[in-house]
Amino acid sequence: MNNPFADPGARRDRLALLAYALAVLAATLVHDPRWLAGGLTVTLLLAGSGAGGLLSRVLRTVLPFNLAVSMGYLMLAWLRTEPPWQTLLLLNLRVLLLTAITFLFVRRVNLFRALGFSRSLTYLLGLAYSQALTFRRAHEDFRLALVSRSPRRPGLMDRYRVSAAAASWYLEKALAAARESAQALRSRGFFDA
Amino acid sequence: MLELTGVSHRYGAAMVLKEISFGVEAGEKVVLLGANGTGKSTLLKIANGLIAPSAGQVRYRGEAISPGALRNAARNRRFRGRAALLFQNPDAMLFNPTVLDEIAFGPRQLGLADAEERARHWAAALGVGRHLDRPPFGLSGGEKQKVCLAALLVLEPELLLLDEPAAALDPRSTGWLVDFLAGLRCTVITTTHNLSLAPELGRRALVLGEDHGLLHDGGVEAFLGDRERLLAANLMHIHRHRHGLVEHRHFHVHDWD
Repeated sequence: MNNPFADPGARRDRLALLAYALAVLAATLVHDPRWLAGGLTVTLLLAGSGAGGLLSRVLRTVLPFNLAVSMGYLMLAWLRTEPPWQTLLLLNLRVLLLTAITFLFVRRVNLFRALGFSRSLTYLLGLAYSQALTFRRAHEDFRLALVSRSPRRPGLMDRYRVSAAAASWYLEKALAAARESAQALRSRGFFDA
Repeated sequence: MLELTGVSHRYGAAMVLKEISFGVEAGEKVVLLGANGTGKSTLLKIANGLIAPSAGQVRYRGEAISPGALRNAARNRRFRGRAALLFQNPDAMLFNPTVLDEIAFGPRQLGLADAEERARHWAAALGVGRHLDRPPFGLSGGEKQKVCLAALLVLEPELLLLDEPAAALDPRSTGWLVDFLAGLRCTVITTTHNLSLAPELGRRALVLGEDHGLLHDGGVEAFLGDRERLLAANLMHIHRHRHGLVEHRHFHVHDWD
């Protein structure tokens, strides 16, 4: 059997996985916004020429979540007459940093190679990856089907309905796929001691 | 009516379509054949102006069709009212609270006064009239397919693009679909990898090869009788057979569904 530790690419990816795990741990334990901002700067520097694209993708991804949480926190702080800025800064920086680290890690590292030391983890990653690909394709089809069926620009309500139908479909498919995957793994002796 | 010129498409580094050129005249029934992964669905989405090809052009009645060109509201309204695409996964097309709303969606968008009446007519024509008040999500695969078809036909399109319409159907419903499509007067392009169904769906075949180029543009029967091309398209294979006590190997095709 090949030794997965002998492959320099695998070694590099495994070190990156370890660094990623430590970075995520640090980002959740550090409570000083200056350190978090520093971490974000380092992450963007590591992204090199792709820093702009990475930051833009991170902002687009976290904006709805961060905006909703920040607004809720602002209202709470206003009712309690507490200054909210320190907490808001901390919260938003932490989410930005964690998302940026994750996007950069996924872009740079071959996860299959990084987890090659464990048969179980590779199996689980394979299952998650195949489901993610299926759902990405389905998500695109839901979006395109609405465009295709709409002689006029679809309204907000139509978009909500498509999102709800898609979410329900994903849930149903995810449950069915998880059940089937578990059966397949059981059949192949994955759960045997 | 529909003209594709030098259409190529890539997903990242992967070539999906390579320099596809063909035209379809009004009223033609065309079958688009190809093994899995040869780009049939992508080709229909490009022809429906949903995906911009990496290279080449699509024209419908002389007008350029692409996501960019269809940002023009008048052109989009004109094209979407005339050309309809049935997705391979019918669930992707269903999002309204009832079957009636689902079928009436297009006509209501166009502001047609008789939207509901049209929806009832097409639901009855497709045999889903008894489900009008039900949510479409709980229907069987075949019924969902019929609701989707009704939702497209309600706009009385000139061009119908069907992506594997028989994939979710049982044999009886497949027979019904073949008869139904034969009775339609509009232009139809249907994808399938079920070779036995191909001659029922059209006289002309467009075949995508494994190199993602157009391998054949001509008669269906001519293609089905051409062993070299069937092999090149990966639509024919060889393996051992048993006929009673005799075992031998020969080339043949399978019905895949």
